[in-house]
Amino acid sequence: MKIDIRLMGKLTVFFTIFAFVAVLPLLPASAAAENVVKVGNIIPLSGPSASVGQQGKQAREMAVAEINAAGGIKSLGGAKLQMIYADSESKPEKGVAEAERLINTEKVNVLTGCWNSAVTYPTTAVSERYGIPFIVPVSVADKITEQGFKTVFRIAAKDSWWTRDQFAFLKDMEKEFKTSVKKLAFVYENGDWGKGFAEQWKALAKKGGYKVVLDEPYPSTSTDLSPVVQKIRRVRPDVLMLVSNAADAILLTNTLAEYKVKLKAIIASGGGHADPSFLKATGKNARYLFDIVEWETDVNKPGAKEANAKYKAKYGYNLAGEAVDAYLAMYVLKDALERAGSLDPAKIIKALAATNLTSGPGMIVGYDAVEFGKDGQNKHAALIMVQVNDLGKGLERITVWPKNARRSGYTPVFPMPNK
Amino acid sequence: MNFILEGTINGILMGSIYGLTALGLTVIFGVLKVINFAHGSLIMVSMYVAYWAIIFTGVHPYIALIIVVPVMYFFGYYLQDIIIKPIFKAEKDIREPITVIIVTTGVWYILDNLTLLIFGPQYRNIQNNPLRGKMLEIGDMLISVPKLWGFITAVITASAIYWFLQKTRTGRAIRATSLDREAASLMGINQFKIYNIAFGIGTAIVGISAVTLVPFYNIFPTVGVLFDIKGFIIVVLGGLGSIGGAILGGIIIGLIESIAPMFMTATWAEAIVYGLFLVVLFVKPSGLFGVKYDW
Repeated sequence: MKIDIRLMGKLTVFFTIFAFVAVLPLLPASAAAENVVKVGNIIPLSGPSASVGQQGKQAREMAVAEINAAGGIKSLGGAKLQMIYADSESKPEKGVAEAERLINTEKVNVLTGCWNSAVTYPTTAVSERYGIPFIVPVSVADKITEQGFKTVFRIAAKDSWWTRDQFAFLKDMEKEFKTSVKKLAFVYENGDWGKGFAEQWKALAKKGGYKVVLDEPYPSTSTDLSPVVQKIRRVRPDVLMLVSNAADAILLTNTLAEYKVKLKAIIASGGGHADPSFLKATGKNARYLFDIVEWETDVNKPGAKEANAKYKAKYGYNLAGEAVDAYLAMYVLKDALERAGSLDPAKIIKALAATNLTSGPGMIVGYDAVEFGKDGQNKHAALIMVQVNDLGKGLERITVWPKNARRSGYTPVFPMPNK
Repeated sequence: MNFILEGTINGILMGSIYGLTALGLTVIFGVLKVINFAHGSLIMVSMYVAYWAIIFTGVHPYIALIIVVPVMYFFGYYLQDIIIKPIFKAEKDIREPITVIIVTTGVWYILDNLTLLIFGPQYRNIQNNPLRGKMLEIGDMLISVPKLWGFITAVITASAIYWFLQKTRTGRAIRATSLDREAASLMGINQFKIYNIAFGIGTAIVGISAVTLVPFYNIFPTVGVLFDIKGFIIVVLGGLGSIGGAILGGIIIGLIESIAPMFMTATWAEAIVYGLFLVVLFVKPSGLFGVKYDW
């Protein structure tokens, strides 16, 4: 019998390829692929929120560098966190498109972002569809964790908690300084974030017996806010409550001072008012302003001073609340990955849901634990109020509320003296 | 009723500054027939030039014009000469070269992102300038002094440009090129040289507008985008290529922005601006003060 060597050769090649292809999925993925955890970050790196997006990026980089230097994710064989950034430009459609790209093309294991609530809201829907975990360090719109999604985990307090604390603060100040406040003016950027705040303010004002004399959404891209300021001046409110991004926060603060608007207090809502360039760009015009934040450099937490010093040495300005959330988010992710011990999205999600982080380098926030509720909201997130004042060392943000967290020896200035 | 007067004055002042920011756009369009998408970035670059000029020399913001205007003139001149001209030549038979528009968009992205890289995303402004926060008090009316300066500058600049185009030899050459490139070339006008000059002049005007903004506005890498969109609306409203139209278009926008919020929210005021823009496009596509032919 003559053996057809050529046919045998072909068959051998065929079977070899067949065997290889059949076995391929059973082989463990190559070591190189297993040893990184791809973290996709959708944040505004250009556009109106570029400043805050940049800080989010820097804080993430700092945390990731620390985690990787300390040996990466040990349960995954020392896997390193690999950061992939995508620019949302603060545009919802960009965020959604980038999420699709990061999941399908870059094959990320986890997504984080997006700071702008308007971007986070539709973008989380993408990750939910693909079942990829999405950590939201800070985007305050309530509805983000009220979509019934299983993949979304928010670390920061949601905006209904911010407004709740702003009104609690106002009541406490009225009591402490025996000054009554009757008329409130609400001025806010007309995006999801501002409108979310304003809706709750209105309900809280009604409950608290305040009169709302102005309810003014304005476009954050305004090049001139004096028409809005003139409106505030005409209605003569006692307290002005603001939600602003950075450029408009600066413009509003300066314009309010120019028009010599008399108010008992200005209560801001973080964001633009917490931007590190805000104080530099407004100078003494920002004096006595109250702002609600998640974090301040004078917060009394182990590691907080050191983390801030490191950040400042690296990037030239102090950590802000948003940056701290981004920093903490990386440690929350690390903690979850350690417990998951796998890159299976379902396992990471399960581990995130079981998070109860109380210590570690990331826990430099004002509250004591990160623990997610059924909706994915961190149950322990809490807020503080600060006042901008000059105590002889230039303008600084001083923690004033809650009273037990107040910087010792400081008495808040309320009502605001006439400048 | 005082507040309506106050609003009107603020609207006219701010509007004339908007008009001034759009003036460079209209001059460049009038001659090159190119919508310069890098316009906002040129405003931004000028604001940084003005900012550093004022910070380093410590002079009155308006004295910085001595530095900003020539710097921006040559910036525009060489931007056109080096980057835009080659593409122009490749498409010289087309009246409104599309590729050039794409190139200016590229320039916009490059300039904005370069600035972001070099100066970071911080918001800057000049704390110690003699105009900052100054208000003129008339009764209980307050009028912003830096905006008043801006208004005067806008009127002077627009008149000077108008005079320059009407009366000088270069101005006439620019107008000739704008009317008919081919004919102008046949008459011995070097059209590409004229383009360079026109782009330089347009950019220098942008520089002037930046100086008017710097005393009261923030400087950051994407600041141009805010004025960019407004510039396009103003230029279309006033008539592309029309100098008086740019200033008047700016004032119309300024007045809407300033007066409308008295009766509605500022968000609606913005919607009205865009609505008016659409109405003008429908009813009078050549703009309120535009002419059927150029100049």
